[in-house]
Amino acid sequence: MSKASVFYDKFERHSHGEGLKGHATHYCPGCGHGLAHKYLAEAIDELGIQDRTVAISPVGCSVFLYYYFDVGNSQAAHGRAPVVALGHKFANPESVVISYQGDGDLASIGLAETVATAQLGAPITVIFINNAIYGMTGGQMAPTTLMGQSSTTSPSGRNEYNGQPMKMAELIAGLDGPIYVERVALYDAKQRIKAKKAIQKAIKLQVEGRGYSFIEVLAECPTHLKMNPEDTEKWVKECMEPVYPLGVKKDVTVDPWFKRNPPCFKGEKILSLAGATSEHPERFCKGFPTHLALNDISLKLAGSGGDGAQTAAMLIARAAINEGFDATHIPSYGPESRGGTSYADVHVAEEEVLNPGSPDPQVLIAFNTPSLVKFGPTVRKGGYVIYDSSVVTEAPVLDPSIKLFPVPFTGIATDLGKAVVKNIVALGALQAATNIFPKDTMLTAIRVALKDKCALIPLNEEAFAWGIKSVEALDR
Amino acid sequence: MALKERPKPFLLPEYCKGCGRCLDACAKDCITLSDQINPLTGLVPVELDLSNCNACGLCMDACPEPYGLRPAHEGEIEEFELEDPAKLFGVKPSDAPVPVDIPDETLPLPRTEPLVIKGTYASALGALLAGCRHVYGYPITPSTEGAELMAKFLPKLDGTFLQAVSEVAAVNMMYGTAGAGLPTMTFTSSPGFSLMLEGVSYMIGAELPGVFVDVMRGGPGLGNIAPEQSDIKLACHGLGHGNTHAITLAPSTPQEMLDLTMLAFELSFKYRNPVVLLGDGYLGQMTGKVQLPETMIKPGIPKWAVYGDAMHRKNLVSSIFLTESDLEAHNVHLNAKYEAMAVEARAETFLCDDAEVVLIACNTPARTAKGAVQDLRNQGIKAGLFRPITLWPFPVEELKTAIRGAQRIVVVEASAGQLEDEVRLALSKAGVRQFPDIENVRRMGGVLPQQSEIMTRVLGRKEVLA
Repeated sequence: MSKASVFYDKFERHSHGEGLKGHATHYCPGCGHGLAHKYLAEAIDELGIQDRTVAISPVGCSVFLYYYFDVGNSQAAHGRAPVVALGHKFANPESVVISYQGDGDLASIGLAETVATAQLGAPITVIFINNAIYGMTGGQMAPTTLMGQSSTTSPSGRNEYNGQPMKMAELIAGLDGPIYVERVALYDAKQRIKAKKAIQKAIKLQVEGRGYSFIEVLAECPTHLKMNPEDTEKWVKECMEPVYPLGVKKDVTVDPWFKRNPPCFKGEKILSLAGATSEHPERFCKGFPTHLALNDISLKLAGSGGDGAQTAAMLIARAAINEGFDATHIPSYGPESRGGTSYADVHVAEEEVLNPGSPDPQVLIAFNTPSLVKFGPTVRKGGYVIYDSSVVTEAPVLDPSIKLFPVPFTGIATDLGKAVVKNIVALGALQAATNIFPKDTMLTAIRVALKDKCALIPLNEEAFAWGIKSVEALDR
Repeated sequence: MALKERPKPFLLPEYCKGCGRCLDACAKDCITLSDQINPLTGLVPVELDLSNCNACGLCMDACPEPYGLRPAHEGEIEEFELEDPAKLFGVKPSDAPVPVDIPDETLPLPRTEPLVIKGTYASALGALLAGCRHVYGYPITPSTEGAELMAKFLPKLDGTFLQAVSEVAAVNMMYGTAGAGLPTMTFTSSPGFSLMLEGVSYMIGAELPGVFVDVMRGGPGLGNIAPEQSDIKLACHGLGHGNTHAITLAPSTPQEMLDLTMLAFELSFKYRNPVVLLGDGYLGQMTGKVQLPETMIKPGIPKWAVYGDAMHRKNLVSSIFLTESDLEAHNVHLNAKYEAMAVEARAETFLCDDAEVVLIACNTPARTAKGAVQDLRNQGIKAGLFRPITLWPFPVEELKTAIRGAQRIVVVEASAGQLEDEVRLALSKAGVRQFPDIENVRRMGGVLPQQSEIMTRVLGRKEVLA
C-alpha cells in the first residue's frame, strides 16, 4: 500500500530531520506502535479528516507521535490525555480528537481521567496500546503486566502482592458512556486487518458524532521482554491473549447526538443573565444620613441560619447603592448552612467603603439571644441595638448611651402568617429606629428583590410597615 | 493481466529495522533476513528477491515503518540506488496553509446601572465579558459559587461548563481548550490550586493562556474554609516545576474582581501564559457595587492554536525540548517574557505623598488598612497605604516612591509573612538596601487583621517613642 499522506514527507520534528531521522521512526525493531500508527494514519486518510484531526500525545514511548503525523497535535502530561482531548473537543466540536495512550498513562496515573472521560461519553477516540510493560522508562511493571511476568520492578515475576492485571477493555465496556469497545492484536496478518478496521470504525463513530470509542491494541515490546520480534509475537498470542481475550466488548448503535451550537456573544444576553438594566432606580434620599455618621455607617445583623440576616443585609446594601452611595455586605457562616450561626457585616458609605468589617458596629440587629449576648457588647457608644423581643425575653445590659429597640420580629411575622418575613419586620424597625433611609428607599429595594414573585410583595410590605409601627409604639 | 499492474515492493535497507513481520507475511519466500549489519543503522535489514513476487502487497501491510517497504514506481529503483539516503527526499512543501491570527472583536455594551453582587459573581461576569465560554472545575469551598454560576450561565450562552473528576483533570481540560486557542478558566481554592500546579507548569512550558481564580483559604493541609492569604508564595514562586512565573493579580473589591478578571484574560493571551487572580475568602463572598464595562470581547483564534481545522493543521502544542540547547533556548525565551511582564505592574496608593507611616496590604486587608489610614489621619498621624494590585510582578517602582519619606513600614496581612517576603524580595532585587524597619500586623488561620489591631500597632509604637 502507498504511504498515507498523513505522514510528513520528512520528519523535521525528529531531531530536525537530520540523517535517517527524517524518514525512520524512533521505535525499536518489532515495536507494535509502528503498525498502530500506520493504521491510524490510513484511517485519517481514508476518512478525509486530516485537517480536522487533533492527536493527543501522552507521556510514554509514543509521546513523539507528532514527529510523524501531519495533523494538529497537543502533547499532554502523563495520564491527562483524555481530559486534554475533552478540552479540545469542547473548544471545537468539529475537530476529530484522538487520544493515543500507553498502559501506564491510561491505566495507572491517568485511570481517573480515563474512566471519567469514558463515562462522560463525549465522542472522542481512545487508542490504548497495551504491551504489558513500561517501555519508555526502562521496563518496569505496568498495570497490565501479566502474573508471573518479570520486570525491573517485579524481578521475580508479578505476584498477588502486586495485584492482578488491569483489563481495560472490559472495564470501559462496563460503563454506560462508551458506544464501541474492542480489543485487537498485531501478531499476524488476520489480526492486523481487524486492528485496522477497528481503529477506522472508532474514528468514524466520532466523525458521525455518535459517541466515545475505545480500542485496546495488544502490542509487542521485544526490547523489554528481551525476545526477538518473532518470539514476542508468539508471546502476545500464547501468553497475553488468554488474559486479554480479543474481540468486540461493546458495540451499540446510537443516533448522532453530539451537536454544540457556537457560543453566544450577544451583550444583551449577558446583561439579561446578570440582571443588569439601564433603568435608573428611584431615589428618595436628600443626602447621606449624617445624623448617624459623617460618611460611613457600620451595621451588623446576626442570628441563626434561616433567620434571614443575610437577606436583610443584602437589601440594606442594595438600598444604599440604589441611592448612589457605596455599600458592602460580608456574610459569615458556620460550616452548617442551616441552623448554625450566621452574621453579616454591612457598611454604607457616602463615597467609598474603606474597611468593610464591622467589629464594632453602630447598629446591631440581633435575631436571637446568643447573637445579642455575643455582639451586644461590641456596639459603639451612642449606637442602636434592635432585637427580636419574641425570642429575647430579657433586655440586655449595655452602655446607657446605646438605644435599645425590642421588637417582636418573629411574633409579628407569625401573626402575618409567614415567620420567614421576620427579617423584613426587622428592616422596618431599622428604618424607624435610625432613619437611615426614607421608607420608600427600603420598600423599593424589597419590591425589586421580589419582582419575580409579585404575589409576595403585599405581605412583605405589611411586615415592613409593622416593623415601623412597633418602634413608633415604643415609649421614647 | 491485473496482477502486473500492481506495484512490487521496494525497500531502502537504511529504513528497515529487521523486525521480520514481512517474512511471515510473504507467501512466496521473496524476503529473507540479511546476514549483514547495515553500517548506517547498526541493524540487520531484510533482503528482497522479487523473482517470484506476485505483488500481493501483504509485506507492505505488515511493515510498521512509514518509509520502509513501499510500492516501487517505474524507474524508482535505479534512481534511488544513485542517491545518498540522507538526501534522498527533498523538502516538499506541506499543503497546509500558514496560519494567521483571527483577531478578537471588541463589542459595545449599553450603559447599565451598578449591580449589587458578590465578588465571585463579579469575577464570573468578568470572564463572560472577556469572551470566556469554556469553564472547567471541581468543587471546593469557598470558590464553588463561581463554578455554580458558570454551570447556570454557560448553557444559556451555548458555552461549556464541565465538572471534572478532580482539580488535576480540570486544569488539563483547560490545557486542551487553551491549546485550541480559546479563553478558558477555573475557580478553585488553596488545596485545589495545589493540585493544579502540575497542569500550570505544563501550560507555562507549552505557552498556553488561561485564568485561575483562586479564592484562598486557611492552611496548611485541609485547614479550614475561612479567609487567609495562604497562596501568595505559591502563585508568585511555586507554580510547579521549572522556571515558572505568572502575572498574579490581587483585587480588593467586588468591582476589581470583575475588572481584574477581564484584565487577566487579556494578559494571558498577550503573553501566552497563565494568569492567577488571588482573592481572599471574604472577597469572594463580599457583596458590593459593581459597574459593568461598556465593551465586551468576542475572542478570535490565535495563529498558534491547535484548533482542529485546515488553517491550524501544522501547529503543535508541546513543552518537550529534548536537546539541552533547545530547552535552554526555550527557557531563555520564557524568561524574556517574564521580564516583558514587568510593565504590567500595578499599585494603588492612598495618602502616601507625605506619609511617615506606610501601611502595605492587599485584598480585603487592604481595605481594613485603608480604614486605619483614614482613622490615623483623623488623629494627626501622617499615614498612607500602598496596595500592590499585581503581586507578581511586584510594583517595586511605585513602592519606592510610596516609601520615600517613610519613617516606618507596616505590612498588614492574613498570612505568616508571605506578602512581606514579596516586599523584601522586590526591594532587594531593585537594589534598595536602606529602608525603615518593616513591622507587621499578621493574623492566620482564617482570621483577618482588624482595624483596631493596626491602630494599636501604629499608635503603640508612637507612644513608646514619645
